Formats: sequence, C-alpha cells, structure tokens
Amino acid sequence: MAATQKLYPRATVKRIVKAQANRSLSKNADILIFLDYMLFMQELMREASIRSRKAGEKNISPNSVRKVTEKTLRKFKG
Amino acid sequence: MSGTPNLRARQPVRDSEASTPAGGTTLTTRLPIHPRFPSTPSRFTASTTPLTNRSSRWTPGNRGGAPSTPHGLRAMQRRAANTPGRERRKSGRGQRESVFDVLRNLSKALAPESQPIRSSPQAQPEPESESEIDEIDELDNETPPERPRLSLPLEEVEEDDDDDGSPEIRPPRMSLALEDDDMTHTSVEYPRRATFDRDRPRLSMMSYGATRLDENFGDATGLESDSDAGDFTGIIGDEDGEQDETIISQSAFDRGGETEDLGRFNFEFNFPSPNAPVDDLDADGPTNDDEGFELPAIGLEPGLNLVPDDSEVGDATGDSNVELNLPSRVSMSESPGFVGGGVRDEEIIVQGSKQKKLSRHGIPVPNMPAGVVRKLATRFARARAGPKAKVSKTTLAAIEQASSWYFEQASEDLAAYSKHAGRKTIDEADVTALMRRQRHLNNTTTVFSLAQKHLPKELLQDMRLPMPPR
Repeated sequence: MAATQKLYPRATVKRIVKAQANRSLSKNADILIFLDYMLFMQELMREASIRSRKAGEKNISPNSVRKVTEKTLRKFKG
Repeated sequence: MSGTPNLRARQPVRDSEASTPAGGTTLTTRLPIHPRFPSTPSRFTASTTPLTNRSSRWTPGNRGGAPSTPHGLRAMQRRAANTPGRERRKSGRGQRESVFDVLRNLSKALAPESQPIRSSPQAQPEPESESEIDEIDELDNETPPERPRLSLPLEEVEEDDDDDGSPEIRPPRMSLALEDDDMTHTSVEYPRRATFDRDRPRLSMMSYGATRLDENFGDATGLESDSDAGDFTGIIGDEDGEQDETIISQSAFDRGGETEDLGRFNFEFNFPSPNAPVDDLDADGPTNDDEGFELPAIGLEPGLNLVPDDSEVGDATGDSNVELNLPSRVSMSESPGFVGGGVRDEEIIVQGSKQKKLSRHGIPVPNMPAGVVRKLATRFARARAGPKAKVSKTTLAAIEQASSWYFEQASEDLAAYSKHAGRKTIDEADVTALMRRQRHLNNTTTVFSLAQKHLPKELLQDMRLPMPPR
C-alpha cells in the first residue's frame, strides 16, 4: 500500500474494460475492477512463486507464471 | 492285621488319613492290601517302607478297574458330580443333581421345543435374494430417469439434442484435479464452470436466429471433449450428414469459431490426444465441421460468415471488421491460454499480442501499463518470496499476458452481469457480484475491507462516496 504512492491509471483500466465488454462503466466501478485485478495479481504471484519454489528456481520464472496463469484465471472466472 | 508294630508306628507319621488306628475306615482301607501283599511279615515290612510302594497302594489309578476303596469311590463320585457330562453318559442315574441338571429340567419343562430358532437363518437368505433381484430390476428401471437429463433446458432445442444428451454425461475430470497443485473449494466448480462456458455461447446465440449451427458446433466439440468419443462416432456421423447443408449455407462462422475455442478449451485440457477420433469422424462425414472450421473457415467464407456475426455483435462494420475480429480473436482470446496450459501456445500468442490489440468488439484495447504491472508483481512477489524477489523481464511479459487475459475475462463477465441486470453500463454492483462469485466476498469480507487492505486511501474515498456500506 505504501508502495503504490501513485494511483493506477484509472483511465486505462476503464478503457480496457470498456473495449472488452463493449459497455460503458459507471463512475467508480473501475476502482473495484482494479481491486479485483490486484487480487488476481496477488493470487497469480502467489501461485507462481509456489510453483517456482517447488521447481527449485530462485526467482519466479516466466514458465511458472504461464503454467499458473490458466489455473488462476479459472479461479477468477465469475 | 499286619500286626507289625513298626508299620503301625510309621504310618501315622506318613499318612494323616490312615492314622486313626481304631476307625472302621482304616480297616476297610487295609482290606485291599491283603490280597496283594501276602501276610509274610518280611515282605510286608519291605513293601511298606519305600515311598513308592506305599503310594501305589493308596492311589486308585494303579489298581485299574473300578475303585474298590471307599476313598476311591468317593473320589469317583465327586469327579462325576463335578463333570455332569459323565453323569449324563451314565444315563439317568442321577446320583447327584447339579445346578445344570435343574436348569436343564426347567428349560425342558418350560420350552419343550427349541426348534423355531433354527429356522430363522434359513428364512433370511430367501428375502435377501428377493431383494437383490429387486435391486437389479430397479437398476434396470433407472435408465428412464436419465432421459429427461438428456434434453437441454433450452426450449427451442431441436430434435438433434436427443443425440446431444450423451455428451452431457461427462466423465469426471480427473486430470484437472491431478494437475492442480492445491485444490481449493473453487476447483470443485471447474466442471460446472466448464459446462457454463460451453453453454454460454449457445445461450447468447439463442436470442439470435442462427442457433442451430452453433449448437451443433458446441455439441461436436462437446463430443470431442469426451475421452470415449469412439462411442459417439456413429452419432456424430449422422449429425454431420443431417446438418451439412445448413452449416454450409448459413455458417455463423465466427460464433462457431468461438464455440470451437471453448470446446478445445474444455477438451485439450483434459485429454492430450483428442484429435484422432475427430479425424475419424471427419473421414466418415463429408464436412469437417468439428475441426475443419478452425482455420479453413477463415479462408473459406469470410464475407458470408461475418455479416451475421456482426449483426449479432451489434457493431456491424462490414468486412473490415471481420478481418479485425479474427486476429483479435487469435491474439486476445483467453481460450488459447487455457488450451495450452502449455508453453508453446502461449508463446505464439505473446508474439501476437505485441501487435496492436483489438477486442472482440473491434475496439482497440490499450495495454495495462507495464510499470503498474511490474509494481504490482514485485510487490506481491516480495510479499511471498521475501524482499529480494525479482521479476524478470520475461516473467513480466508473461504476467502482462495473464493480466490482459484477466481483463478480457473479467470484462466479459461484467458485461454479462450488467446485461442480465438490464443495464447499459457496468455498475459497481456488477463488480461486487463478480467478486462474490470469485469467492472474494462473503459474509465476513466486504468490498471495503478488501479495499482497505489493498487500495490507497484516495481510491478508498472515491469508493465510499457512491457506495454506502451495506
């Protein structure tokens, strides 16, 4: 929290969702979406770090992220 | 008798029983001795002195036969009294009635026949066998109840769905569970969600005209997803034969591609080598609806197909839009990510994503800025792996890809929710619904507690204004 001094680019998030959903967003929905995105990132990094640690890698490797991506996306399927 | 004083003197010392000199018992006890030991005093004394001889004289066992001594008799009687079996063998002598005898007599008097007890075990197996037979019959009869399940809930589903019922009963997806590192409660939902994914395109299509083809596509993919597709080959062939014309003529092609993606998504996941049966099917059926349309469809009829597709999407811009849609589909779609779970597909996709991205609606999609993604990634990586955790560039690319997929998926879900609510805009309620379905929100966790945990204060304030806490 302290790390994110700067706000995230609200406009960008709004544009992304707008383009993907082909719908407009209400005024503050993007905050919640970004919150959900943060949760997603948290989960993704958690899974990836677990996986990479299991594989004995020191840092998180892109492969482990890719392996984990699908599973995490499924978890975030509404 | 044996008047030797020596003997007399010694015996009381050795035997307490025989010690009484004047008792009749002593006389009787000594009676048997006489025949054995003739009265010669020398012998008599000799025989009495050793212990062995004396003991042999007194123990009844040595004499064999019935005990003649009163002690022996008494011992025999006692033994007989203690062991009722012997007495019984003597049959009715009834010298002494033990407790058992009394009880036995009582039982005989009270319950003359104990027969009915025996019959019960014999009677039991018969009903069991009957019940077994009944179960088998029931199992046979159970098949009809499955019928209703075969029919899809959609009202307008055509007669083809009778065949489609079979794919509905899918084998449990064991491969998923095995692959997962940690199974959580959400993973239980995988099959359900998979079916939802499969059904969703159909549902969306139902509102528009060209339902039939898409359903068939979906069903075909569904059949693919079954490991034992061999069973259905005949059916599929028939379907193909029936629907060839319609498919070729109408061919809502993009939608078909979508469903196909979803189908692969279900399918390749579970079974690495599914294509073989499909190929066989294709060999049987004249048209390769199941597989062929993936690539050839693009080449085949771009002009024809896209027009219905666009009308359905809502922003019909024409052929250009068509061309736009296809690459976007390839680059953006989440399904390839699912399909691969593997590296190769995603790498290809990553390369594609470097290009300008378009959503499925043809709207250009900006990337999530790399700085934000990296910041979040390093932050969470540090939370996990310690302060020195680094996120390399390639890892960051993978994460960006994942996040773009995430946004696509989330925004599709949000659009579905808002559409269901009859709104044109995505509301906060939609997002909360999404998070609730993601199991991020529950009775104990509210949006605000989550936001407090993760979001900076400025955003919190923004949030609070429009949404009073529930």
